[in-house]
Parts: sequence; C-alpha cells; structure tokens
Amino acid sequence: MKVLTNLFAAEWLKLRTRPLAWVLLAAFLSLLALYLGLWALVLALQEGVLARGDLRLELLSAAQIVQIRRQLSFPGVFGAVLGQLNSVGGILAVILAAGALGSDFGWGTLRVLLIRAPARGAYLLAKLLALLLALLIGTLAGLALGALIALAAGATLGLPSSLAAGDLLALVVGVARGLYVILPYVLATLACAAFGRSVLAGVGGGLIFLALDVSAGSLGSLGVVNDLVLVLVNLLLQPNINRLVMMNAELFGLDQSVLAGGLDLATLPSPLQATLVVAAYCALFGYGAWRALARRDIGGAG
Amino acid sequence: MSTQIVVQTEALTKRYGKLVAVDQLCLRISRGEVFGLLGPNGAGKTTTIAMLLGLVRPSAGRAVVLGHDIQAAPAAALRRVGAMIESPAFYPYLSGYDNLRVLARAGGLPTTRIAPVLELVELTARARDRVRVYSQGMRQRLAIAAALLPDPELIILDEPTNGLDPAGTAEIRALIRALAAGGRTIVLCSHILHEVEQLCGRVAILKAGRLVAEGAVAALLQRGQGLRLRVEGDVAQAVALAAALPWVTGVRQTDGVLLVDAPAERAAELNAHLTRAGVLVAEIGAQEHSLEQFFLEVTGDH
Repeated sequence: MKVLTNLFAAEWLKLRTRPLAWVLLAAFLSLLALYLGLWALVLALQEGVLARGDLRLELLSAAQIVQIRRQLSFPGVFGAVLGQLNSVGGILAVILAAGALGSDFGWGTLRVLLIRAPARGAYLLAKLLALLLALLIGTLAGLALGALIALAAGATLGLPSSLAAGDLLALVVGVARGLYVILPYVLATLACAAFGRSVLAGVGGGLIFLALDVSAGSLGSLGVVNDLVLVLVNLLLQPNINRLVMMNAELFGLDQSVLAGGLDLATLPSPLQATLVVAAYCALFGYGAWRALARRDIGGAG
Repeated sequence: MSTQIVVQTEALTKRYGKLVAVDQLCLRISRGEVFGLLGPNGAGKTTTIAMLLGLVRPSAGRAVVLGHDIQAAPAAALRRVGAMIESPAFYPYLSGYDNLRVLARAGGLPTTRIAPVLELVELTARARDRVRVYSQGMRQRLAIAAALLPDPELIILDEPTNGLDPAGTAEIRALIRALAAGGRTIVLCSHILHEVEQLCGRVAILKAGRLVAEGAVAALLQRGQGLRLRVEGDVAQAVALAAALPWVTGVRQTDGVLLVDAPAERAAELNAHLTRAGVLVAEIGAQEHSLEQFFLEVTGDH
C-alpha cells in the first residue's frame, strides 16, 4: 500500500504540472462552453429573445426545446455536462492517458522510475488513479462552468430552475458513473501505449478503438431482427455505455433520445448488464495493459 | 553469498530470438570496488546492467544484487542502488528539482535528500530551471544526482562523463573517486578506457555477450607487459633465438620491431643471449601496455 501511495504521489506531481493536462482541460471547458452556449443561442432564437419577441426562428420541435431548456437550467445542466464528459471528454481522456504512459517510454523516464520503484503493477495502478483524479477535477471544473452558464442562461432566458439536496446526491452518483463510462477507454489506451511503447500507439489505439466502438453502437438497430443478435450486439461495449450515459441523463430529468435521434432505448441492455459488461471490458483492458508492461523488457529512450 | 559480494551473476544470459546479447555471464563484484564493465558497442554491457536493475528479464541464469535476487525481490535489491543507464532521462517540462522530487516520491525517499545531491553535482543554482533548457552536461550531472538520491551502497554509471567538457569530466571523475573512497561500490561502463584505467580497480571485458577478460587493472596490464627490441641483421634468427628461451611465451614482429612476451627484468639476459649468438641489439626496453591496447587485443578490434 505504501508503494502505491508513493507512486501515486509521484504520478500526481507529474500530471498536475504537465502542460498537456492543462491544455486538455482548457479544451474541454471551451468545448463545453461552446456546446451550452450554442444551445442557449438556439433557445434564444427560438423564443425570440434576441429580437425582443419580434422574430422567432423555430428550428427545433417543442419536445427538443423542452430538453434544451432543461439542459440549460438546474439540475439538467449537470446531466448535460456529464453527457459532454462522456463524449468530448472521452476523446480528451484518451489523449491524456496516452501522454501519461507513452511519454514515460518516449522520454526514457520509465526505466529511471522503475529503478526507484520496480513494482510495475503498482506503477500502472498509480498512474490510473492519478488519471482518474485528473478526470474528476476536470469533471468538477466542467460542472462549475455548467452551473455558471445555467445561472447566466436562467437570468437572460428566464428558465425555471430548482436544485434540491437530492440533486446533489444524484450528482455524486452521476460523476462516478461518468468516470466509470470513460474508464474502459482509458484502460484500452494504456494497454495500447504499453504495447506500442509510445504516445502515438496510445493515442492511435485509443482513438481508433473509440471510433470503432461508437460505430458499433449503430449495430443496436440490428437487435430488432432477432433476439440472439440483440444479445450479441449488447455484449459490445457501446450499447452498454449508451445505457449508462442514458441513466446519467435521466438522473437529471433529461431524455437523450430526443436530441440524439438514432438512439433506440428499447434495444439497450439492462443497467445491471451494462455495469457488468463495462466492468468486464475494464478488466480485459486493464489486464492487457498490466501484462504488456509487466512482461516486457524496458529498453532505452525512443 | 557473502555480504561482501555486492553483485553476483550466475550464468546470466539474455537472448533476443537467435541473438545472444549476454551469454552465461558470471561476475562477482565486492563491496567498495570500482568495477569497470567494458566492451565494444553491442557487447552486452547495457543489457547486463539492465538485467542487474530488473529492467530486462534474463533468459537464463540469475543476478543477485546486495544479497537479493533481482527477479524475486527487485524492491529489496534496488533499495540502495543508484543508477544512470544509457542517456539521462528526465521530464522536460519539470525543473531539475522537481524531477528529483518525482523520483524521491516514487521511491519513498525523503525530499531532504534532494538539496545535498544537487549541491554535490553543483546544480543548486539551476535547480529550478526546466530540464528542457539544460545542456547535455547539466543533464548528465542531474542524472548522477538522481543516482545518488537513495544514498546508494551500489552505484551503476553508464558513460557518466558522456557529453561533459574537460572540466566537467574532471569533476565527475573526482566525484566518483570521492564516492568510492566513502566505501560505495561503483560499477562503471565507459568507452573512455583511459578513464576506466584511472578510476577502476578491476574490470571485465565483454565481447559479443561473452566475458573475455576479467581481473585487476594492474594485473591485466602486467599480463600485457613485455620487451620491445630492435635488432640489426637477421631478424628471423633473432625471433628464433628469443622464442627458444624458456621464459619467453611469445614473439611478434611488427615494422622491424620485435615484441617479446617476457618479464621486463629479463631484458639484460635477452640482450646477452642475442649478442652471444651474433645478433646485434640496437635498442631494448620494456613494452608497457595501456588498457586500450589490452582491450583491443582481447576484443580483436585492431
């Protein structure tokens, strides 16, 4: 345990001082502000706020507008932020994870670290924990930004808002679930970086897996053809991720299917299956990362 | 194993497919020694060191460091080992101080060790600068500081003066002498044979992964000692006459000069023997080998 604590302290020092981490955080917050800002603009145009009611651009259906109004007010904004965490945030998390492990190969610092602390499993776990802490902080920063935007949108667009103690409890569950959804992609990235011994392998492997997985999500519609096909499709990662993301949205009164037309809620796996399947993928990728790191020789820089 | 033996390898072997990088290497390094590990490029020096540090898994055999099998108990074996292997490797975005802080935290070492080791390598004034702006010499010194961080009993240095200017080289050599004088065991890999001759008490020479020579530097140089003479007249007769003497173990002729493998104190006797047989000796003297000459002979890199 002490070894893990020491390595976590080292990994956290490296990560929190790394410019890449701050650049990715800035990118996440900027994209989040853009996302929520655009919805606010759409809402303002739809309701004619910008033209004092003289001109209304009815771009979306009434049901969609209801969803957008919820996303821009409490507590729905939390669901919107967590939704972004599991889309844009996932991509940025892959880049961060690849940089964190791949750089230790590229700079040759892995051998220096392993001479001081040769427990490779503990090193990998410490790195994962440091990454999760960084992602948690990024999520909390995103939630804070979302709250500010919700306050501003509420004041300018006159959105109804309510925040109860139960919402804050739901926020804890939502954040934990949001990070759980990212975890398999982070672990797949670490496995790729360890196997390819580079940042490039990590980023490439992680993003290709992410892209393939999202594409595989569209196979969900095949489930209506046959029950066996549905069972098989639901063993892929993406339908299970979709279920968890959906649950996070519902936690804050949002209905993702209204804004994401391709999502068929009826074919998604159960919450228990989603949790277990994601856990199984995490275990698989985590084992792959550990095996690639633990069993292989550590050479020089580059 | 005696506690006086700091490093012991038993038939240590590393294969990469068909390539045998290190072949059945048996070494014993005693406490307080300055031990030189020499060999041409690709001889297996760095692989040997990497196996001693647990970075590379041996294909066969074992290595015991400070009384612990490096494969079975790497943490215990490396607790009091400091090493600089291959080129210096650091996090470029961190300062020299923070790089050492990462290593101290990873190894569970007190950060109070950082200031003294920076002082020792004369980097205190630049400790807060990012490593990115360090010169090669500064990186080299920081790597030595990192090796000294755990107050090591055993220090393994791979090309420690690489990239240093003459003044820096002299400082590092003085530092190595001071560390050795303090009772630490030092394993030194260097291509600068003059440096090894100056610093090391004992050396091992590797060629194509095999140990081709090992022993005290003084003894190895003595082994190469002989007589160098120039004769007038029949050189072939002189070779035959010299070779016939029982205490002569070999005679070579290069550029009209005879190199006779014989004790230096037999010079007068050899001179008299040749003169009596009618061979005029124009010049005779002791032929002293440098480590470089010996190295070139045993590695066949003439």
